[in-house]
Amino acid sequence: MVGNFLRSSALAIVLASGTAGGAFAADPSLDLVAPLAEYKIYVAENTAKLVEDTKAFTDAVKAGDVEKAKSLFAPTRTSYEKIEPIAELFSDLDVSMDARADDYEKAEEDPAFTGFHRIEYGLWEKNSTEGLAEYADRLMSDVTTLNQRITDLTFPPEVVVGGAAVLMEEVAATKISGEEDRYSRTDLWDFDANFAGAQKIYELLRPLIAENEAEFVTKVDGNFKDVADVLGKYRTPEGGFVSYEELSDADRNVLSTKVNTLAEDLSTLRGKLGLG
Amino acid sequence: MERIKAPRTDRRNLLKGLGAGAMGVLAAGRAGAETPAQQAPHNVQEAPVGHADTAKQRVDFHGPHQAGITTPRPASGLVASFDIVVSSPDEFEEMLRQLTERARFLTQGGLVPERDPKLPPPDSGLLGPMVAPDAQTITVALGDSVFERFDWLTPLRPLHLQRMVQFPNDALETSICHGDMTIQFCANLSDTNMHAMRDIVKNLSEFLVVRWMYEGSVPPVLPAPDGSTPSARNFLGFRDGSANPDSTDAPLMDKVVWVAGPDEPEWAQGGTYQAVRIIRNFVERWDRTPLGEQERIFGRRKMSGAPLDAPQDATEQALPDYSADAEGKLTPMDAHIRLANPRTPDSDRNLMLRRPFNYSRGVTKSGQLDQGLLFISYQADLQQGFIEVQNRLNGEPLEEYIKPVGGGYFFALPGVRDDADYLGSSLITAARRL
Ligand code: HEM
Repeated sequence: MVGNFLRSSALAIVLASGTAGGAFAADPSLDLVAPLAEYKIYVAENTAKLVEDTKAFTDAVKAGDVEKAKSLFAPTRTSYEKIEPIAELFSDLDVSMDARADDYEKAEEDPAFTGFHRIEYGLWEKNSTEGLAEYADRLMSDVTTLNQRITDLTFPPEVVVGGAAVLMEEVAATKISGEEDRYSRTDLWDFDANFAGAQKIYELLRPLIAENEAEFVTKVDGNFKDVADVLGKYRTPEGGFVSYEELSDADRNVLSTKVNTLAEDLSTLRGKLGLG
Repeated sequence: MERIKAPRTDRRNLLKGLGAGAMGVLAAGRAGAETPAQQAPHNVQEAPVGHADTAKQRVDFHGPHQAGITTPRPASGLVASFDIVVSSPDEFEEMLRQLTERARFLTQGGLVPERDPKLPPPDSGLLGPMVAPDAQTITVALGDSVFERFDWLTPLRPLHLQRMVQFPNDALETSICHGDMTIQFCANLSDTNMHAMRDIVKNLSEFLVVRWMYEGSVPPVLPAPDGSTPSARNFLGFRDGSANPDSTDAPLMDKVVWVAGPDEPEWAQGGTYQAVRIIRNFVERWDRTPLGEQERIFGRRKMSGAPLDAPQDATEQALPDYSADAEGKLTPMDAHIRLANPRTPDSDRNLMLRRPFNYSRGVTKSGQLDQGLLFISYQADLQQGFIEVQNRLNGEPLEEYIKPVGGGYFFALPGVRDDADYLGSSLITAARRL
């Protein structure tokens, strides 16, 4: 591995002082039309799946079927985690659906604590669905609203392009520590979905930069592959993941460096595509 | 590898400019300002006045030993411990080379490169467009875990390097112990250290995961009438450092601090063992302890720092004479300084160079101040130095007021010879020869 950051920044200096903006797409908005449209489809597919899965999940909760609800928790979340950069644009819904106990002063006991993690808390800590019906209803209605709002949304290019790095920032800041799914220990599902979401954006944009940024692309490709290799070790035959507790310190460190390096590199995507 | 840096000469000129120019202008702007009160900013939004003379202090990065060990201790220190993620000697070398590159720039100072504004800036900007050296040193040390984990390094482990084990009074917290590598940052201003830390976290994210970090300070002290500067005080209010071996005495440092000789691997010559201990001080309780008892606990007077057996007007420089006080009537036998250094011909081989910082981190769950000593010592022999002395200190009366909670043992790499060299080059070369 070589000092890509140093090299690319040195390159950027040369370019900035020389031919202004020469390395960047002449008219970024044109080049981005196709990838943005495709990304919108990706998001729509995921929100549709989220609606469907949440329905099954919340039905199980309301039917008092703890085991079924537990088994649907992690897979349901993945379609949300994949599209987080877009979902997060609606902060009212994000808070209502995905906030964690420590976002609230009274933690788990706080009446404002709702959404996936409130239900997760009940299912795993209390091993019961008692009192969860209202949270299930609210989650279902939030998901439906989210779906509607996303359908009406014009995707801001900088949010989509920047979203790849944002997903990595999320993992680096609050997920690598295993605090996201602290009751169910299904964090690796979320990791995987976050990486998939970031990689999707990157793959869509890759053709636009592959030629001029060959070294960058090689490095990012390599890091995504390394992540997939590490996560692969923890996959179960059923297509899910083992408990976060089984992640070794060494592998967590590898994931941590990859996440941060991907965040560092993907944060230059906006600039590389001429978006300020 | 390309390097981001202004050519050396440019940098020097710029820094000269910084001294005589930029900051000089500010000073001149407050014409006739002589007393600190007059120099003080006029408005809330005006920054505290910086000091051009300290900002331009530059510590050589190159030399037979790393800086930041026998270098006088500036007011701010930061120790960060990292885990290293590499899978081959080549990657390890690449990490060390990049780290060296950053450390060279950060300690010598210079212009921050500009980048296309559509990209994230290459520097945090904490210090503005011009990084002043500000006495910055960056000292890199490896933990025993790297020699343990990488079989291509195992045969090269320094003789005494080991994982820190719990002493009787310790209450170690895993989250602030050990690590593959420490970086000790020292500078006049804590902002300078933080700028360097952020630079390294950003640029080496590929290889390094932060494990823990402690920041500390040394309270500046006014010079004594004779022009000497007394030792600074720690958070127990005592002068700390009085009996340290003279760090300007090169032959003494060769004996006490720098690793040399056939027992240690060839690559390690010129390095030194670093012991880091995060030691909480129970300051509320200490402040409720009679002065006489405090002084007997240390074996020194609180205000002057003089040893208890010295005349009333003695300074901290006075030497205790335990042979004349064999029963401990003046200096208790279990006083900190007497246990730490009984000053017998034998105890000479247990000398170490202490270079601690005071830390303060908010309050504990019980509402007590979370303060203490970021103890750092350097010694040529970890076993004879830190470990032996700590074993003698076990059970000392001071223990009632202190609680070691973290830290670890590390090996500070030999120095970087010149522009072509890098930190740990001798280790990598040796690893390739295996
Ligand atoms: C919070 C913990 C500690 C405090 C507050 C503390 C404080 C002091 C003070 C006030 C002195 C006298 C002045 C001086 O010579 O510096 C001293 C001396 C000394 N301390 Fe500590 N110390 C602490 C921990 C340690 C530890 C962990 C070690 C090593 C294992 C150590 C080794 C020494 C040595 C070698 C001396 C010099 C004794 C001499 O040569 O006379 N100290 N310490």
